[in-house]
Amino acid sequence: MSERVDADGLAGPPRGVKAHPLLRRRYLLPFALVLPIVLYEGLLIVYPIVQGIFGSFTRIELASSAATTWVGWDNYERMFSDPAFWKVIRVTLLFTGLVIVVALTVGLLTALLFNRPFRFRPFARGMLMMPWAIPEVPVVMIFIWILSPQFGVVNILARMLPGVTKNPQWLQVPELAMGWMVLISSWKAFPFYSLVILAALQAIPQELYESARVDGANRLQLFWNITFPGIGSTLELLVVLAAIFSFKQFTIIFLMTGGGPSGTTETIVIRIFNTAFRFYDYSYATALGVAGFVVSLAVALVFIMMQVRRAGDSA
Amino acid sequence: MVAKREDARVAAAKIDARRLFNTALLYLTVAVVSLIIVFPVYWMMISTFQPSKYILRFPPPLLPQELYFAQFAELFSEHPIAKWLRNSFLIAAMTMLLCMALSVLGAFALSNLRWPGRNLFGLFLLVTQMLPEVLILIPLYILYRRLNMLNSIPSLALIDAAFILPICIWILKGVFDNVPPEVLDASVVDGCTELGALWRIVLPLSAPGLAAVAVVAFFFAWNEYLYAGIMLSSGEFMPASVGLSTLKAIAQTPVEQYMAAGLVFSVLPVLFYLVMQKYIVSGLTAGAVKG
Repeated sequence: MSERVDADGLAGPPRGVKAHPLLRRRYLLPFALVLPIVLYEGLLIVYPIVQGIFGSFTRIELASSAATTWVGWDNYERMFSDPAFWKVIRVTLLFTGLVIVVALTVGLLTALLFNRPFRFRPFARGMLMMPWAIPEVPVVMIFIWILSPQFGVVNILARMLPGVTKNPQWLQVPELAMGWMVLISSWKAFPFYSLVILAALQAIPQELYESARVDGANRLQLFWNITFPGIGSTLELLVVLAAIFSFKQFTIIFLMTGGGPSGTTETIVIRIFNTAFRFYDYSYATALGVAGFVVSLAVALVFIMMQVRRAGDSA
Repeated sequence: MVAKREDARVAAAKIDARRLFNTALLYLTVAVVSLIIVFPVYWMMISTFQPSKYILRFPPPLLPQELYFAQFAELFSEHPIAKWLRNSFLIAAMTMLLCMALSVLGAFALSNLRWPGRNLFGLFLLVTQMLPEVLILIPLYILYRRLNMLNSIPSLALIDAAFILPICIWILKGVFDNVPPEVLDASVVDGCTELGALWRIVLPLSAPGLAAVAVVAFFFAWNEYLYAGIMLSSGEFMPASVGLSTLKAIAQTPVEQYMAAGLVFSVLPVLFYLVMQKYIVSGLTAGAVKG
């Protein structure tokens, strides 16, 4: 968070000066400005969260319009003793972890590559951003077509592998399905990380490289001693952001596998959706939602603590 | 003497050859990497613009064999895609207007004013932007059902705006931060109120930031799938993101129409995102990285 605004002259009343009516009005202004936002977000984000936490202790019957009854910890007891829940957690961790690794590795490598000077670089960078700019539903459509067992173009590559004589059922084999979910999600996400890393690379003073080169450092030494420390804090931040984004990933998995085959790509967000809107088990879905909320809140807090630390460093 | 000069020339030629090799390697790597990244997009184009007799064979030809444009007319006559796009446009435009109005207020308070609770407000926005949308889907769905707000385009725009507003505020805050405080001071000394300064000085200086907020809000709603699918279950209000996901390639929709639909839906967001990428990145990282 930028601290420089604190120095500006529009601040509230200076300490020790008796508040003039105009200053007092000035003092109220920020609250008046943010009140509609807080109310709006409160009503549509915070209130549903509170409702959800409350709802996870009840039995909700939407269809029969029967009264909602208080069931205490029942939903949670069911959740923790449900092997399917722990499978969902494993799948979520696997998916999130793999997307963090793949998307950030590709993002870092492409950023290093596209940071070198070459002709047509602006054009090439525009191409690089393409997957990020395409909406998720068309991304799903493209890959459904590319992975079609009948005519999918990816089968040309697969057939080149020894021992592959017919087109694989890409989304029916658990390992392949998970692999594609990770690859497609990473393909969609990595340009964003690449762009952020590029910005960090460009912030490294060129003089550092020049003086190190004068001292006879080779390329690897330049990378480990200048580049890597220079973008280290950005990379840390991106790991947390990537965790948040991939944990949230819904559309690609939902439309391509729906969580299948037999739950092997069913992350917690997919599970919540399926429980509520396929099995109409709203109360149990709400309890799962609270579990997801706790996890994402924890990761968000890590992100915020890193932000605060960065603000402290730069001040 | 002559021999020494000859040595130097050989050494220079060696360095030149090495440089040439490195450059060639760089271009080759860039070309291969770009090709892999862009290939799925290329494949969408290929599958759109040639008749399916070329594409429905295995192995399919990697280069286009014949150009074909009738699929767009067929797509619009065989599917209610014009209606889907109109619905998407309405949802996106409403979301955009709401976000622009509210984010100006929030960003001004966050960037240009000092008040107790300012940091808390910033954190509040950060947390709301990081929660998975599906977590509040069920409570919101139950709420909307009770209030009879399902199957209404403005009701969905209200939700979309609530999700994207925090990011819009962060984007705009980053832009407002660049307005020199001295300029604001001067205007306040000259008898301008803060709101007057916002209107006359900060906003005109922040036109690109406002454009970025408009793009982000508009296309968030344009692309949004999860809430649109649940809250607008009636076909009449179906937006394009949900409509496209109901198309089944080959089985019901010819491939060139299927891919053309994806292309039509993607053109606008791709153009605008590429133009505004710098601002969007700074907003998504909550200003941690100035793109």
